[in-house]
Amino acid sequence: MDIAALLLTLRLATVTMLVLVLLALPLAYWLAHTRWRGKIFIESFVALPIVLPPTVLGFYLLVMLGPQTALGRVVTHLLGHPLAFSFSGLVVGSVIYSFPFAVQPMVAGFAAIDPALLEAAAVLGSGQWDTLHRVALPLSRGSILAAAVLTFAHTVGEFGVVLMIGGNLPGVTRTLSIALYDQVQDFSYAQANRTAWLLLIVSFAALTLLYSQKRTRRLV
Amino acid sequence: MSDSQSSLFAANPWLTLQIDHAFAPFHLKVQLALHAPWTVLFGSSGSGKTTILRALSGLFTPDVGSLQLQGEMFFSRVASKPCAINLSPQARRIGLVTQTPALFPHYTAAENVAFALRGLPSAERNKKVQLLLQVFGAELLRDRFPHQLSGGQQQRIALARTLAAAPRLLLLDEPFSAMDRAARLEVLNNLRQWVQQRAVPVLMVTHDLAEAFTASEEVVVLENGRVVAQGQAEIVLHESRAQLLQELGVAPNAAHSPER
Repeated sequence: MDIAALLLTLRLATVTMLVLVLLALPLAYWLAHTRWRGKIFIESFVALPIVLPPTVLGFYLLVMLGPQTALGRVVTHLLGHPLAFSFSGLVVGSVIYSFPFAVQPMVAGFAAIDPALLEAAAVLGSGQWDTLHRVALPLSRGSILAAAVLTFAHTVGEFGVVLMIGGNLPGVTRTLSIALYDQVQDFSYAQANRTAWLLLIVSFAALTLLYSQKRTRRLV
Repeated sequence: MSDSQSSLFAANPWLTLQIDHAFAPFHLKVQLALHAPWTVLFGSSGSGKTTILRALSGLFTPDVGSLQLQGEMFFSRVASKPCAINLSPQARRIGLVTQTPALFPHYTAAENVAFALRGLPSAERNKKVQLLLQVFGAELLRDRFPHQLSGGQQQRIALARTLAAAPRLLLLDEPFSAMDRAARLEVLNNLRQWVQQRAVPVLMVTHDLAEAFTASEEVVVLENGRVVAQGQAEIVLHESRAQLLQELGVAPNAAHSPER
């Protein structure tokens, strides 16, 4: 079994999940409450990774973050190395690729909060941040957890983006799904079988956690 | 109502309000000056009562209007301009108890009441919560969650939660609708004492005739977005009462009805 690939996959999924929850929370809260009509463009943009082939996303990231563009040169300068074929590059790609899986459950969760509760909080003198902290976040806990689990599981299972941006460097960018691909290429079916089982178990466990939480969520 | 209480309110109106807002096909156009410490806004569903309360509390922005509480202007807007003054609901410190109590489902009754008391030291906060729960006969409910409470119990907690914020004006939108008559009278009496002691004026919306009679010093009758009468309940609701009595098969006693 490829322990390095397993650890790398779990590390990538965890970092991606944390970054995404932090990034998606304010965006989702805003999307759920804004009346700005242009928000459909933001929503469409956020949802793009669902329909785009991961290779398209990977390709553009590779180009944009490479030495050909100003952005790529700035990033390279700041990090001291190019983003492509590095762990941070994988994180950037994974964050973008799983963005809709973080944003959409959160938007649904925030939008499901009875507006009367937010109004009650306002009339009781609670400011926006206070209301977010004491009313909106606790009431959408289930959706935030769903977003976290989904992004974790989605990152574990990602292949195209990782291959395009990360290449296949053992211990650096070689995740489980890529290791599996290599093993099949090498006709190591017994090894491939173990890797595939591992991926299956991680995904199944994540989804089981998600559904068990939904079941026990307090009735609101 | 005590005499000392009425003198606090008599001279100047504590609230002046002017709202003009078109929600086609409905048009709300009202102008009011309120003097009585407890005023009832009476009218059928859809007459604009709730919208007035929402405008006062800052949850709704009328097209045109001005709102002034105890000499302080907190909303002012002329036609097709941005608001000249529009204080946020937080800054207005006006209490609003809605018909559906909107308790926070993830907090217990006591935590709901304590919602606006976050800045206080916990001992003081607990004391206030305990007192308010007592005022509304809800001490035994303190550790229950909203979904474990009946509609009437939820309304008691919502009242306590609003009073905890020490509002300068109390707006009540049919706050007793889920209580039976006995409970309603008990809660109304306790609430009346509480606001009298603190000289907090009350504007209460109802479409219940009996409630309008028992609760108020003054009644404003609203019909289809317009104020059609303002004055003592016996006078402005005389016709509605006569009509109700007739429907109930009781002949209205002409000798007791005041001259119009």
